Amino acid sequence: MLSWNLIMYPSIHKSVRAASIISLAVLFSLVSSKAFALPEDIHKSPMWQYNIERYLGTDADVVHTDQVSLKVPDFAEDSAQVPLTIALDRFEGDIRSIVSWVDLNPVPHLFSYQPHQQAPLTLALNFRVQQATTVRAAIQDENDVWHIASAHVDAAGGGCTAPSVTASNPHWSDQLGNSQGRYFSRPASNRLKLSIMHPMDSGMVENVPIFHINEIQIHAVNNDKTMDEESLLGEMSLSESASENPLFVFDFAGDDSNQYALRLRDTQGNVFKRILGDT
Amino acid sequence: MITFPLIQIRLHWLFAVLTATSLFLFHSLVNASPQYELVPVQIADNVWVVEGKRENFSRDNGGNIVNTAFIATEEGVVVIDTGPSWQYGKALHDIIRETTGKDINRVLITHHHPDHTFGNQAFDVEKLYALPGTISRLKADGDAFADNMYRMVGHWMKGTEVIVPPNQISPGKLTLGEHEFELFAMTGHSGADLVVMDHTSGVLFASDMVFFNRALTTPHTPGLRQWQQELEELNTMPFSLLVPGHGPISQDASPILQTSAYLDWLDTLLQESAEQGLTPSEIMSTPIPDQFSDIAEVRYELVRTISHLYPEYEKSALQALANDL
Repeated sequence: MLSWNLIMYPSIHKSVRAASIISLAVLFSLVSSKAFALPEDIHKSPMWQYNIERYLGTDADVVHTDQVSLKVPDFAEDSAQVPLTIALDRFEGDIRSIVSWVDLNPVPHLFSYQPHQQAPLTLALNFRVQQATTVRAAIQDENDVWHIASAHVDAAGGGCTAPSVTASNPHWSDQLGNSQGRYFSRPASNRLKLSIMHPMDSGMVENVPIFHINEIQIHAVNNDKTMDEESLLGEMSLSESASENPLFVFDFAGDDSNQYALRLRDTQGNVFKRILGDT
Repeated sequence: MITFPLIQIRLHWLFAVLTATSLFLFHSLVNASPQYELVPVQIADNVWVVEGKRENFSRDNGGNIVNTAFIATEEGVVVIDTGPSWQYGKALHDIIRETTGKDINRVLITHHHPDHTFGNQAFDVEKLYALPGTISRLKADGDAFADNMYRMVGHWMKGTEVIVPPNQISPGKLTLGEHEFELFAMTGHSGADLVVMDHTSGVLFASDMVFFNRALTTPHTPGLRQWQQELEELNTMPFSLLVPGHGPISQDASPILQTSAYLDWLDTLLQESAEQGLTPSEIMSTPIPDQFSDIAEVRYELVRTISHLYPEYEKSALQALANDL
């Protein structure tokens, strides 16, 4: 009875049906196939293709790169503050834009960076992780090819939904925007470091609405303090994955400027302008 | 279907027995509590140490990475730390009874970290003692520690609960029968660290103020330099044997010197890196100096220490900025 069941007609129909569905799917994928095949993800993240299509587009030309170094620790000691440094000084193409995301976060996008007058040599900031995940930095070159650097971070998780440390301080709003910074003249670059008090609420904690810095402009001002298209080095847009009380690092090639201005704006429209460098 | 009811009943019966047996076997395989094989080593008259592995917490070692100790006095046994889990605490309690044949007088918890205090459940709660700072820290952090321990060592933790010692202990002399102890309250490792000098045996129980050949941990240190200063005080104590919190027992001060030299290197590294404007990720791959390269878990703990402490070093190297609108 059992074996007879297996070769009954309805099953044959089923397998024929399955076969035709598969062939249709193959045909469809051939017809709609992208100009460029997506390379395999070395970290085998389930979100590899999904996030690339989401942030780079469905027909993005993607390659892995070792010209970009994406430095993260192997494990997150604090899931709410995981340090990330992206070194771009060995990248051979022209940088048209940079997108970074954290594959398994509720909102994976971390930042997008648009160079204007000059591309950065290094970017660094801390991000949150909700669970162990891969982290990506994608760099678009002058031929619209996206060069992706990846790394994996192990974690206990919960960084995106942990209440901010700031919120436990009843006087936090007095300290909003308090900042410390410094301009470092380094052998191969000028480094800007800016630390700013901001709760960077992700909107994922109960009864705490989203409230975070979402736009940063970097200008080379050279004492005249005019901030316009001419002085604009680049723009960064930030998402919920960025950590509380952020510390931003930007490197630019030396000699061009000795004074920089950073203009930060949050989701409530607060604007913070900070000058770094010789005054 | 109804031709051989007897056989069918028998088959059903056989099937039921087989299922029950295999379920039982599977159940005992999966749920068998792993056993800690604790070996007490007698290091002086009436003094035993149970040395842990020089590793990080794992599902293989059950968190047995810590040194615990017990001292038999005329008034009963003094226990120093209870280990990482209830199961460990029970095993420790058993070997104390087997080895000494005496009742326990008191249990001293050196600090609030889980590997030193999560075996508390196996002991009479009224006999648990700790510094006030340890009690408040364990109340605040205990549940978070438990989450982390269950994640890292898994089933070894089965049934383990956080038990906060109800009795406060203060620094000074402690005499039990003929046995003379002196207790010191320090802060360098965890904010409240109990150090026990056993004057009768000459053994110094340095707790986690001293690590030897296993990298030190920094999640709650009030400062590397403060820790280092307290080590100088430790080094003046009249010991003939030193038991570090982690790592092998020593007849000389080399564990103190190694801990101090490593703290010095860490502080200098973090300070100089901050002054050069480096990011945390940029110093996590710093080469480990030769003198520390054989210390177990040194790279792992360096990465953790940078996460714990570098943000403050980094901020001290920055300048306050005006809000220039």
